[in-house]
Amino acid sequence: MTAIAQFTGVTYTYPGATRPALRDVTLSIRPAEVILLLGGSGSGKSTLLRALNGLVPHFHGGTFAGRVTVDEFDTRTARPHDLAHRVGLVFQDPENQAVMTTVEREIAFGLENLGVASSAITRLVEEALISLGLSHLRHAPLAELSGGELQKVALAAVIATQPHLLLLDEPTSQLDPVSSEELLSAIRRLSEDTGATIVLAEHRVERCLHLATRVIYMEDGAVLVDAAPQDFAGWAVSTRRELLPPVARLFARRLNGQAAASAADGHLPLTVKDARHMLDVVEGETPRRREADPRTAPGDVVLKTEKLAVGYERAAPLLEGVSLELRRGELVALMGENGAGKSTLVKHFNGLLKPFRGTVRLLGADVATLSVAEAARSCALLGQNPNDYFVRDTVAAEIDLTLENLKLDDARRNELAARIVAELDLAELLQRDPRDLSGGERTRVALAAVACGDPPLVVLDEPTRGMDPTRKAELARTLRRWAADGRCVLVVTHDVEFAARCASRVLVLGDSGVLADGPVDEVLNGSLFFSTQVNRLLRHALPGVLHEDEVEWGVSLQ
Amino acid sequence: MSAHAAAAGRRRPRGTAACALARRQPAASAAYVAAVAFAALVVVNPIQVAILLGVIVALLAAAGRLHASLPYVRVALAVGLFLAILNPFFSRGGLDVIWQADLWIFEITLTLQGLVYGVTTALRLTAVVLAFALFNVALEPDDQLGLMSRFSFRSGLVLSLATRLLPVLSRDGSHIADAQRSRGMELDRGNRRTRAAARLPLLGALLTRSLERAVDVAAAMEARGYGSGRRSRWLHRRPWRAADVALAGGALVAAVALLAGLLRGAVGYGFFPLLDDPWAQLTDPWWVVTVVALVVPGVVVLTRGRP
Repeated sequence: MTAIAQFTGVTYTYPGATRPALRDVTLSIRPAEVILLLGGSGSGKSTLLRALNGLVPHFHGGTFAGRVTVDEFDTRTARPHDLAHRVGLVFQDPENQAVMTTVEREIAFGLENLGVASSAITRLVEEALISLGLSHLRHAPLAELSGGELQKVALAAVIATQPHLLLLDEPTSQLDPVSSEELLSAIRRLSEDTGATIVLAEHRVERCLHLATRVIYMEDGAVLVDAAPQDFAGWAVSTRRELLPPVARLFARRLNGQAAASAADGHLPLTVKDARHMLDVVEGETPRRREADPRTAPGDVVLKTEKLAVGYERAAPLLEGVSLELRRGELVALMGENGAGKSTLVKHFNGLLKPFRGTVRLLGADVATLSVAEAARSCALLGQNPNDYFVRDTVAAEIDLTLENLKLDDARRNELAARIVAELDLAELLQRDPRDLSGGERTRVALAAVACGDPPLVVLDEPTRGMDPTRKAELARTLRRWAADGRCVLVVTHDVEFAARCASRVLVLGDSGVLADGPVDEVLNGSLFFSTQVNRLLRHALPGVLHEDEVEWGVSLQ
Repeated sequence: MSAHAAAAGRRRPRGTAACALARRQPAASAAYVAAVAFAALVVVNPIQVAILLGVIVALLAAAGRLHASLPYVRVALAVGLFLAILNPFFSRGGLDVIWQADLWIFEITLTLQGLVYGVTTALRLTAVVLAFALFNVALEPDDQLGLMSRFSFRSGLVLSLATRLLPVLSRDGSHIADAQRSRGMELDRGNRRTRAAARLPLLGALLTRSLERAVDVAAAMEARGYGSGRRSRWLHRRPWRAADVALAGGALVAAVALLAGLLRGAVGYGFFPLLDDPWAQLTDPWWVVTVVALVVPGVVVLTRGRP
């Protein structure tokens, strides 16, 4: 089959960079393929996508060697706008790709640029709206859309131009799981209904692997693996197990890790459905629960809320009657659907927002009587965007700034700075500009900037959004260590797998306030939405089991 | 239609709750608002100015945008009040002296005529400012872009991008300030000058963020074919309906009546040395036609203006 696009020995270095972002990449993309592009932050995924539509090298500059062709176009001579009717690219951040102010105008923008006749634009806009279920939003101002809706509009705007090749650069990285799920469903429908050729860069392997016909894994700008999903899974078992969906990791643990032969046909399950089928056909072995480590009792109360009513309209608060206690030694996951008021609630913990009713006590002091700066000594709050924290030129200066703000003496400042650098492994980044770091590194630096004063309460709002699995595992380890050291850590998250792996307690918020509050294995067990892949698979056989580390395979006695 | 699309079709439409004027033909709305603004600029009679201001406020209220227009009202009232207070002290043409005083080297004479002139000037300024507020209400930025792109697409695009990105910039600024407060930075203590000085370092972060966004938007635009050659223009518009015709017709009639009224002195007014009779011109046929031509289409659109 003729390739739609072809990379031949492509090496590319951004202006001013010391290392190439792409290294000797050679690959071809064939029609109707759905390629899942995997790799850590800074591995070259975005650059590869931008090389396909000519933004690399034309927009970004830099040094380009090799050749990329799309249909009959060579990207060395064809500029991005020349390729726009063949290659469509949806970027990570939906805020940064919209131009117009209303939905249908936004969809029409690309078509107008391509000189499409007005009558055809009307038809194509209508079709794009229908295909992504956006008809009800046609006149909506973009400013009023949620992130998920905005990203769908971006996708609609791209598919309206009917590109041969659709590129999606981590399109769910800025979205909550529900919006992500909707967007991925739309992409799946697009692939199934139209046979579109899609290249999808994405971290959420468990959601996408089964959609793919091919997986490309990149590291340091080079293509390390280029294989069918099952072959990729076979490779990942022995080298990058964190890249596999949880159910695949569960089956990979069989027979002391001889995973490639985990089922009769040597395949690993990629979805819960596959896994359930395999569970039925596996003979001689059954999963059973491992001995769990004894739970340690939580310590003193760090934060207490009493009958809190919060929100943005006094007449209609988002949450009412919220009374809870957070204690030292706890790692709490705060969950709930989008708009439930999770971020709003935690902004009351350090006084960024004032409650309509009720009180927040931080180490016994009423937060209403403290300034946010005073509360920051006891409560570190890391918001959703790490870039909001960077106002200095180096990582070291960012840490110093916080310690300066907290008015600590020199000896204590030096001690705390050294400690946070060691805890978050920042030694090699100290003299770097935080804005030049990768996404995962930025999150670590921002966390250091808020938590370097050793506050007893650390609150993180969606820290895993857009984070690759390796960084996520590192973050979970750090947070568990902080809790074990006697801090209280609260993580606002939609990421059920992350919560299951690191939290000791889960709070679920809903319309009426706190819907559930209890140990992680009780709250996440048996939920419809707030449960893990492994729990969905084993909830009847092994209630309370949430992830594969809690399971071992044994010989069945039957 | 797929099940998904059908489900989408059942969803509550959003964005159609826009002002009824904004749902009309952009050309008709623009013409109507232009006629209102023209009236605000040329009418001088204090009673007529007050009536016109009442019409504009009523239109904004009927559009449900009076609250959103409050910033414009505040600015207009502040400037208007300043003029209303200051003007009488420097307008010496009036004969009916209310108060007189020597203040340092100034001899201040407050006359009834100067006072009325100041108040009228303030009302006129408010009417003009609110007429432009009505323009923003009546035309969505994309419609403004559509109109402007007939003359200069680039200028329209800048307008559209600014409209879209200014709220994002404001939100970014607020997030950056909250992030810095959360790490112990005192941004809210002290007088205004101290607070401004504390926030100064945040401007760099905001500027960096804006530049990053600008680069991303530029990349997205190029990837979507911007600059690829001759653009087409999407002429998808709401079909012309009776309300659109009424709006455009009303605008035309009002403009003609105002011009005729100007020539006949139906909307002028003499403040000095003695006040003219302000009620005399209210029955002038050109003024009556102007008011009717502006009020009736407004009522039609705002009460029956479903697309």
